Amino acid sequence: MAEIAFRDPNLVMRLKRLGSLHQSRLSFMRILTRRMAREGWTFERRAFEIDDDGVGHAVYTAHGPERSYSLVAFAHDLPAEQRSDRVIAEAWDCTFTLHDGVPGSDDIERLSRNIPYQEAGRVTGKELSVSRANRSVRLWEHVVSSLASGVQPDARQIDAVGYLMRTTAVYGSGKLGAADREMIANRPEFASPFQAEMLSVFLTRWFVTELVQHMADVRARQTGREAAKLSVDLARSMGIGNSTGLGMAPFLLNHPVLFNNWIMAREKAIQAVRSVGRASASEVELFLELVERGKTTIKTWHSDHPIQIEKLASLREDVENVTRHLEDTDLSEPGAWNALYQWSEANLGEEGQEWIASLMTEPYGHLVDGFADEMAADNTATFRIAGAMTIADLRAILEDVYAWALNTDWARPENRARAWYVSEEKLEPRLGERFEEPIEDYEQPLAPGRDAAQLYTAVSHWPDEAQIADFLLRHPECRHTVRRTQIAKRAPYAEIRDNTISDQVLPIDMLRCKLSFFGATKFDPRSDRWVRICMYGNAPLPFELTGDNADYWVFPNARETAA
Amino acid sequence: MTHSLNEIEALCKRAGRGSGLPWGLAEEAAKGARWLSAFGLPGAEKLADLLELNDRIPAIDVSPVSLSAEIWHAPVRRMSPLIAGASLSDSATRLKERGSITMENVLFPLLTVPFMGGAALRLGTPVAVEWQDARLATDGHQLCLTASDDALGIGQADRLVFTTPAEMTGRKEPVLRATVSESDWSRLSAFAHRTFAPATEESRLKGAGAGTTDND
Repeated sequence: MAEIAFRDPNLVMRLKRLGSLHQSRLSFMRILTRRMAREGWTFERRAFEIDDDGVGHAVYTAHGPERSYSLVAFAHDLPAEQRSDRVIAEAWDCTFTLHDGVPGSDDIERLSRNIPYQEAGRVTGKELSVSRANRSVRLWEHVVSSLASGVQPDARQIDAVGYLMRTTAVYGSGKLGAADREMIANRPEFASPFQAEMLSVFLTRWFVTELVQHMADVRARQTGREAAKLSVDLARSMGIGNSTGLGMAPFLLNHPVLFNNWIMAREKAIQAVRSVGRASASEVELFLELVERGKTTIKTWHSDHPIQIEKLASLREDVENVTRHLEDTDLSEPGAWNALYQWSEANLGEEGQEWIASLMTEPYGHLVDGFADEMAADNTATFRIAGAMTIADLRAILEDVYAWALNTDWARPENRARAWYVSEEKLEPRLGERFEEPIEDYEQPLAPGRDAAQLYTAVSHWPDEAQIADFLLRHPECRHTVRRTQIAKRAPYAEIRDNTISDQVLPIDMLRCKLSFFGATKFDPRSDRWVRICMYGNAPLPFELTGDNADYWVFPNARETAA
Repeated sequence: MTHSLNEIEALCKRAGRGSGLPWGLAEEAAKGARWLSAFGLPGAEKLADLLELNDRIPAIDVSPVSLSAEIWHAPVRRMSPLIAGASLSDSATRLKERGSITMENVLFPLLTVPFMGGAALRLGTPVAVEWQDARLATDGHQLCLTASDDALGIGQADRLVFTTPAEMTGRKEPVLRATVSESDWSRLSAFAHRTFAPATEESRLKGAGAGTTDND
């Protein structure tokens, strides 16, 4: 069989496709749950000092083979009018930090003076993340009142929301004084990206189920009754919501090497599976089972947003198409995975293609999971500009990587209608109308295509053999883009090959892409630049995590299949 | 109170941009301040000094006139260590061929040192620099330093000589926390603030694209 090539970056790195990605074996939540199960992590509640008004703190500790990590949670009594998911909010229902180790009473005291204030507080190198969460008011009240009156909450109401609390920011990597990634990057448990943040959310979910039980117990006691104990099945069905705004979009543009490594790992996985000669009966069986379970996710995926409604309709059509196709397909034929992938490219939309591409990799943990260790990035080596590169070589990269941008007419207002900027209000990233708002002076460098086209023009009259070092001495304004261009040569999936400032740009495509790598499902856009998701829905709670349920929990409504 | 290196880098990048540096140089200034901070050197403080002195000055006035000149000098006789350093890093192969590069009248020479690290990593051999009675060498990972605090913090060096290969003696390992004084932090913050768009009601409502209500 001919060797299967990696997919062309010009196909993969378009916003519409990146905005259609689905979770996979290489999603950060699944990487974490697999590791914790494999290594036999244990979990304990070390403190729960929360009063009848729901105010106080709790500590939940995860013990790994060498180190322990503790979620320190602060619960608050938040007036309804202050509940906001915006970065510019100043109070929350709960606030959290992930502490490196087991905190002493002095740590708790120190954190209690800082964590509730989030950006207005400070943490130290002993903290790995800072986050906050707000209640789903509707579901919270339903669960508290049901349990308090002695009955289980209604599963349909739980399914309709999916979570009791949603995080509105999870800060890591040195933010607010926390440990830099370099301080923990050499620990095996943090070899893959965002593992500390994913651990904090995993523990947050456990805490939230215990907090809701506590509040139900208090309410029942006030009426002289005893509350029902929330069933583990219902608790497990709930995840932690996440409300994500624009801030996540610049991340992908600001970390081109890291972004390349994420996409590259998934592309390697897809390529490895497309290259499998003949699938075994058990591999085919697992794939078909997960297709069925994946359909349940898609069936129950709800959004009120017109863009997602349209995408969902197309995905559901794709799913029916896949179902019919699989009825007539023998996946045990040689080269069947590659044939299935090629069929999907010819017959499905981007949503369907990426759904199938992720699903194909599921039976192949032994081929795929190792790529998880290649997803982090050390930027030092790629940050330096190679000044001895010739103008001819630079030009050739620009023509290859940024062909779409060189063919874009940047003089047309619609092609540069928007500008990314940072507001002085809590440094909230925003996207504005370049020609209508006074923001251009504050523009962030988040339009690589336009900047590459400008660089191409700037070098147009330079001789081929001239060196970049001499060009940059006269054009320091091009340093940023020269660096990106050199990175994109080494890292083919580093650059989004699409216009990030056009009047058509949908920032939710970037949010969806990043959140799919976290492992999110059921993306629910609230606008073109704001999305809600659910994390760890259906995942085992910490105390029930085993090798049997650590991986396929993301596929609902069927028994766990051993890999 | 200590700072994370990430915080220092983020602030310095914004500050550099706020002082009028192009984005690419602001990024390198910030990486440099971070690199120096990791070795316990006053990178953020010296950057604040430089930004105040060169506030909104056109880059071309404080850049080397030519990279092939025997001695690099800037038209206004006070070369920016950021542009000098970035040019040195860009000229790593030229440095190797020539064995040394000499610069005259460079402001805050300490700020050129991180760029030597970049050049050393590219060449795979350590690079050293000398000015007055200061001598520093780095392979990009570790730093060797023979200098008084006064020499390190000097505001302008008449003559800087970069050489490669260089010997690494008395290595310093980076530490991963740093301290920036409150006054340096606020000097940098003042520059950084220039990069933030003033809040308007319209941008508050539309710019982030949040829904009208967050309660569900």
